[in-house]
Amino acid sequence: MQHFIIFIFSIFFVLVLSFFNRKTVVDEAQKTLRVYGYSSFTSKLGPGFELKKKFESICNCKVEFVEAADSGVLLQRIKLEGATLGADLVIGLDQYDLQKALSEINWRKLDFSQLDIDEIIRPALSNSYFVPFDWGVIAFVGRKEDPLPAPKSLKDLTKSIYKNKIALMDPRTSSPGMQFLSWVYDSMGKDEGEKYLEQIMNQAHSFSPSWSTAYGFFSKRQVSYVLSYLTSPLYHQLIEHNNSIEAFTFTEKHPIQFEFAGIPLDCKECSLAEEFINLMLSDEGQKIIMNKNFMFPVIKSALVGTPFEPLAKFNHLAQFKIPSVSDVDFLIKSWTSIRRGEKNAK
Amino acid sequence: MLVSFLDSVKYVGHLVPISFLRIFLGYYYLQSAMMKYTSDFLNKPKIAETISEFLPLSQAPEWYKVIVTAQMIPQWQILAFLITGFEFAIAISYLIGYVVRPVAVLGVLLSLNMIFIMGPAYEDLNKTFLALHFVMAWIGAGRCLGIDYYFYKRRRGLWW
Repeated sequence: MQHFIIFIFSIFFVLVLSFFNRKTVVDEAQKTLRVYGYSSFTSKLGPGFELKKKFESICNCKVEFVEAADSGVLLQRIKLEGATLGADLVIGLDQYDLQKALSEINWRKLDFSQLDIDEIIRPALSNSYFVPFDWGVIAFVGRKEDPLPAPKSLKDLTKSIYKNKIALMDPRTSSPGMQFLSWVYDSMGKDEGEKYLEQIMNQAHSFSPSWSTAYGFFSKRQVSYVLSYLTSPLYHQLIEHNNSIEAFTFTEKHPIQFEFAGIPLDCKECSLAEEFINLMLSDEGQKIIMNKNFMFPVIKSALVGTPFEPLAKFNHLAQFKIPSVSDVDFLIKSWTSIRRGEKNAK
Repeated sequence: MLVSFLDSVKYVGHLVPISFLRIFLGYYYLQSAMMKYTSDFLNKPKIAETISEFLPLSQAPEWYKVIVTAQMIPQWQILAFLITGFEFAIAISYLIGYVVRPVAVLGVLLSLNMIFIMGPAYEDLNKTFLALHFVMAWIGAGRCLGIDYYFYKRRRGLWW
């Protein structure tokens, strides 16, 4: 026993001693900004990587991205880690996450009411804790050369000619999927919406867990139509020089998706977090986000003279609202029960 | 001590294969501990991040999750030190065959915790390690090609 205790004690003694000796060598002067975000934002292909490089060159600090698969996991982590680890900035919540985020975590108040933004954006600034940094219009996307007539409404999607030709997303794991669900209920009402969803369960090719999986089906021509964004064809035009992809305007007003950033009250580098948001909302930052995310910028000046500008004038838009936690719960429960009732689940 | 080290091959030679396994495990733990020590594992809350990401999915009992959330995550730096220290202890003990039995019991406890907190990717590995540490403790693997034989010859008892 004595040998064992002395052995363990010696190991820890040497470890602690060498750790503190090492620590004096390490440069501790640099502050670290911890940014929590979803993976397509923080990856090398997303806007996060360029924003990080830009910010590190001016802030004398380091930016550390902490990735999470989706916003639900993101909120869970921040809640568990709390003040101990200190998320300084959270990026990528959409309007369906905001009330949940507010109810579970304390956030720092932000004031960006003076931003030079379009009137479309104004309602998204109505809350005091989160600031939108990009937005997009949800739309169905297809190919011009497709022999089928282009769908003109949500109802059209239930026609037999489109059976197994539409890729959708599961609203429980995907924010565009949630937008679709809300789009159905907002434009049709509860009863008709439920009937429609029952029909679409048999009609859709698949309900993917994420937008990227569903879009993959479309890119590989396994489906003819996919739920995506009004700006998706621009990606094909600008990056692939392919003009054959188009987004369809439906008779129902199209929903808008905003992406928000917020600073938890427990932040350690709060002023750096605000500076990072300022960079994201600067002309340069907005252009980085626009060109990498293929979403519209919230700042007017960043849009001028870009291929995104004409699309941003699309005005067949549904009214923006921030749904309550109970609204979101209702949507999820309703989806789950309709999905469970489905006999031939895909 | 050197004589008894060599003697051990003669008298407990049937344990040589286990000793190879012990030394291999010791080498593995040394690498793992060195990686933790040289990276920012002790400076940054990597372990707390891992735990908070995987804990909701873990099959650990609720009372354990409560302890982890209330104690381990807030005190991540102590936890990081304990994990690194125990890994160094297991590494050195297994490599030289000193106090292998009690250290292997420590290894069992460490692996048991790791199963619950390190996520599904490491679950099977830690289950295997748990079994290996258990075997090391049961056999007293330090008695062959290890310092433990020297003490075992002189003192006998459960510790060697």
